[in-house]
Amino acid sequence: MSKLLLSLLILLLAAGCTEKINVKLDNSYIRLVVDGGITSDSMQRSVTLSKSASYFYNQPPPMVSHAIVLLSDGSFLDTLKEQLPGNPGVYGLDPAFRGVIGKTYSLSIKLPEVIGNSAEYAATCKIMKVARLDSIQTEFDPNLGKNGRWLIKIFAQEPGDEVNYYLLRYYRNGILMSDSIQKWSTSNDKFFNGSYIRGLTAFRINNANYWETLYPGDTVKVQMSGITKEYYDFIQQVQQAGYQIPFFSGPPANVEGNINNGAVGFFFAYSDSFATHIIPK
Amino acid sequence: MRFPATIVFLFCLLMAFSGYSLPDTHKKFSVTGKVTDKSDGESLVGATVFIQELKTGTTTDQYGRFSLTMVPGQYTLSFTFIGYASSSRAVTLDKDISLKVELETEQKELQEVVVISEKSDQNVAKPEMSVFKMDIKTIQKIPMLMGEVDVIKAIQLLPGVQSVSEGSSGYSVRGGAPDQNLILLDEATVYNASHLMGFFSVFNNDAVKDVKLYKGDIPANYGGKLSSVLDVRMDEGDSKKFEVNGGIGIIASRLTIEGPIKKERCSFIVSARRTYADLFLPLSSNKALQNNRLYFYDINAKINYVINDNNTVFLSGYFGRDVFSNQFSKMNWGNGTGTFRWNHVFSKKLFFNFTTVYSDYRYVLGTPDGNTNSFQWNASLKDLGMKGDFAWYLNTNNTLHLGAAVTYHMINPGTASGTGSETVFTSIQVPKNYSLESGIYASNEQKIGQHFTATYGLRLSLFQNIGPGTVYNYTPNHVAIDSSVYKSAVVYNTYGGIEPRIGLMYQFNEKSSVKASYARTYQYLQLAQNSSAGTPLDIWFPASPNIKPQIGDQVAVGYFRNFRHNTIETSVEAYYKWMQNVIDFKNFAQLLLVDTLEGQVRTGRGYSYGLEFLVRLNEKIVSGWVSYTYSRSFRLIPDISASPYPAPYDKPNNISVVINVQVAKRWNISANWVYATGAPVTFPTGRATIAGKVIPIYSERNAYRYQDYHRLDLAVTFSSKQKPKRKFTWDLNFSVYNAYDRHNTWSVNFVQDNIDPNTTYAEKVYLFGIIPSVTFNFHFNHE
Repeated sequence: MSKLLLSLLILLLAAGCTEKINVKLDNSYIRLVVDGGITSDSMQRSVTLSKSASYFYNQPPPMVSHAIVLLSDGSFLDTLKEQLPGNPGVYGLDPAFRGVIGKTYSLSIKLPEVIGNSAEYAATCKIMKVARLDSIQTEFDPNLGKNGRWLIKIFAQEPGDEVNYYLLRYYRNGILMSDSIQKWSTSNDKFFNGSYIRGLTAFRINNANYWETLYPGDTVKVQMSGITKEYYDFIQQVQQAGYQIPFFSGPPANVEGNINNGAVGFFFAYSDSFATHIIPK
Repeated sequence: MRFPATIVFLFCLLMAFSGYSLPDTHKKFSVTGKVTDKSDGESLVGATVFIQELKTGTTTDQYGRFSLTMVPGQYTLSFTFIGYASSSRAVTLDKDISLKVELETEQKELQEVVVISEKSDQNVAKPEMSVFKMDIKTIQKIPMLMGEVDVIKAIQLLPGVQSVSEGSSGYSVRGGAPDQNLILLDEATVYNASHLMGFFSVFNNDAVKDVKLYKGDIPANYGGKLSSVLDVRMDEGDSKKFEVNGGIGIIASRLTIEGPIKKERCSFIVSARRTYADLFLPLSSNKALQNNRLYFYDINAKINYVINDNNTVFLSGYFGRDVFSNQFSKMNWGNGTGTFRWNHVFSKKLFFNFTTVYSDYRYVLGTPDGNTNSFQWNASLKDLGMKGDFAWYLNTNNTLHLGAAVTYHMINPGTASGTGSETVFTSIQVPKNYSLESGIYASNEQKIGQHFTATYGLRLSLFQNIGPGTVYNYTPNHVAIDSSVYKSAVVYNTYGGIEPRIGLMYQFNEKSSVKASYARTYQYLQLAQNSSAGTPLDIWFPASPNIKPQIGDQVAVGYFRNFRHNTIETSVEAYYKWMQNVIDFKNFAQLLLVDTLEGQVRTGRGYSYGLEFLVRLNEKIVSGWVSYTYSRSFRLIPDISASPYPAPYDKPNNISVVINVQVAKRWNISANWVYATGAPVTFPTGRATIAGKVIPIYSERNAYRYQDYHRLDLAVTFSSKQKPKRKFTWDLNFSVYNAYDRHNTWSVNFVQDNIDPNTTYAEKVYLFGIIPSVTFNFHFNHE
């Protein structure tokens, strides 16, 4: 919630002017970039391997093919198969696979050549439990902002026995609207640990943005994922990466992922809970 | 190390007394007194008192008082002060004498201009260095952003002082961090000196009398911060006639009333200002902006009562708030300070000053009620303190200062809770902390022969964490494992510091001198600020079992030379400063509303060095200064970088030109130009793509620099005709900030193109283009 206030302050006070500039940047060494993971349902089941590039590379990331990518939970589970020829660098899991809440999964990667300072990488992530979404509601507030805002509110019993971190995304008529990491909503339970979440506003959608706003008759679905603290921090760091606001931003630093040997990125594992609501006409 | 320092100090002190206790062939007498401005009765600080026959003298203290002790005889005392006609008194010293000296402003029709007749030679002759004093009249002529005269923005134009970010009230002195500056308003600590996110400072120029910045050679009576002291004194109020001063600018208006309550005995001043940029928001076509509020106001007040020749009391206060609200959120923050001061003359040689101060900084942040997301969050820092200071004019060669100070700090790092019946939020309280900071000090200014003066002092500081308190225990990897809870009134941690302060001066003649100084300082409170410019939400946190006090040492040497009857002052100073236990934070630190703030602190060493050249002009027509500084500042914090990295304020080359020209009787032109090497910054040296977003892979900390910073500001002031006895005078000030429209970098963002997500570019954010403004000032007096 402090983020919201701070961003409003920025808008009001720091409406500075911008201009593109040319900056001469050195090139650092190439690193492996890992992006992907598993869930407790069948929605996410791939891991993408790519290479870092110079900052002004301005082309799609160079993908890493022919790697051996293995998933285990202590004992071997599956080999992720590269989706050739269609999606080089994307390694897919057996569609029937389901992650189990409470288990810790490991990903190991063996590259055909050394990238960075290693040809072998590994990461682990535990599937945290998620509060069950009882229901969601939508509400249009015409007084917020210039064009009004659609609010999506969630209802759930928050477990009090542990610190929980949540990732929230919404769908409109079956299509994911939170379709980039910038549009993901995250929350921890610091302010409502153990209490019943009675209509917390999870999304505030600008009605002027026709491509993402809601209309009467729409079917709205919210996906709430229980994620680890590390992944929660990682999402926030990625969302802010590249931007510096002298009032708030600390010194720029590399996002902190969970892959070893100096690779960039995250291997995630989480559980999901869904709720659907149809906006009355 | 500690023991010998104390012994040396005591030995020096003994020497001072021995000079006093030597059997005199003659009994000695004292001349004491007070120097005031004839027109309004305000005391003159730093006026020179010179004994013609002995070719020696002194200066008045911060309350305008002086004391001299001499063998009986006939003497001529002359009193001089910048902008005032000098005055002489012949005295026959056959008993203790008390003098009241009133100096008259040099008129010559130009009342608003500081006209100098007899020049002060303090640059050369005063045994202090690394000090810059400015009266408010000098500051008022400097062109400023939106025409708002600002003490802190003036300070940032001095050699050795760097602004931390464009438009910010934060500043770094000789490579120190912005929270290492002690900012005092009538002796009360101001913990956040900024209004409107730093674009303006809390000091209302109509209520300020003068400011003095110590960049080094910090006297023993100041303690608690590592790098500098900014001592701001409020006006005392006119004790002879009523005056009304005011100003109307494009962003703010000011009004000040001062006058006698009891003529020449008791005076008051009340000064207020408010910004009104938001008053125009209802006119906005943007519905969302119409109900927004964004303003600040502040009030300064002071009463000064001369009970009798031996007792004077002052009561002064400041209260200011910034208010911001829109339909989603509301926020306000600000300082309040209060000072009660009693000056007492025990004897002709012993002056006493007792001060009680209160300082309060707080903020409240929240959303409107009646919502599931409604909450309120507040935090505060309160200080309650007392100081006693004796000035003992032992003899003409020794002036001794002795004193003690104690301050109780009460910090609430943050309380947040849901508000209203519909809220889903519970409440959280970051453990409050309490501490006691004390100091005792003694120092002596000793003249040894005609040419040499030594100032030596020692401050002993003590810091105690007092319960109730919660202290987390951390592993070496900064992970909190458990916590210790302490009961009320239990002292659970104590730190002490021995802080020697030494200054030496050798004066070759009345035109030139060399000076050297060494000072050690301790700092027990620091600001949890991880960004360059900071916000009002940044909180102060104390030294504790986990956080050691910061220690600073600085050596400086300088050569001082005056030209043309002291109208041109020049100086060259070199310094080296090293600091221990300096504070930085881990990457992606979360400093607000967290119990484990201390686990995110990373400490190490810092060092900085520099060479400062200054030419200051005090001619009748032309005044101002030109300075060039070469300086470097580094941090060595192993948890952040294996090798030393430039501090955020490491801007090696720095030039300031501040010039004011009285071109005609009614026309005054002023200009300033600043240049600084671009601030160090961390830039990407690679990129990775995660979930469709391109993220930067960064260089080593601060391996790159922004473009160089430079800016020209201009102002023209047209004044009403100046005639003696005129009751109403005014002036109209036109100013231009950033006259040649330099787009100075505020920040650089690395942005992913919206249309082609594979393309990234660098984008500079700058805050100000050319900003013209106009201010109308008026002055009314009633005899």
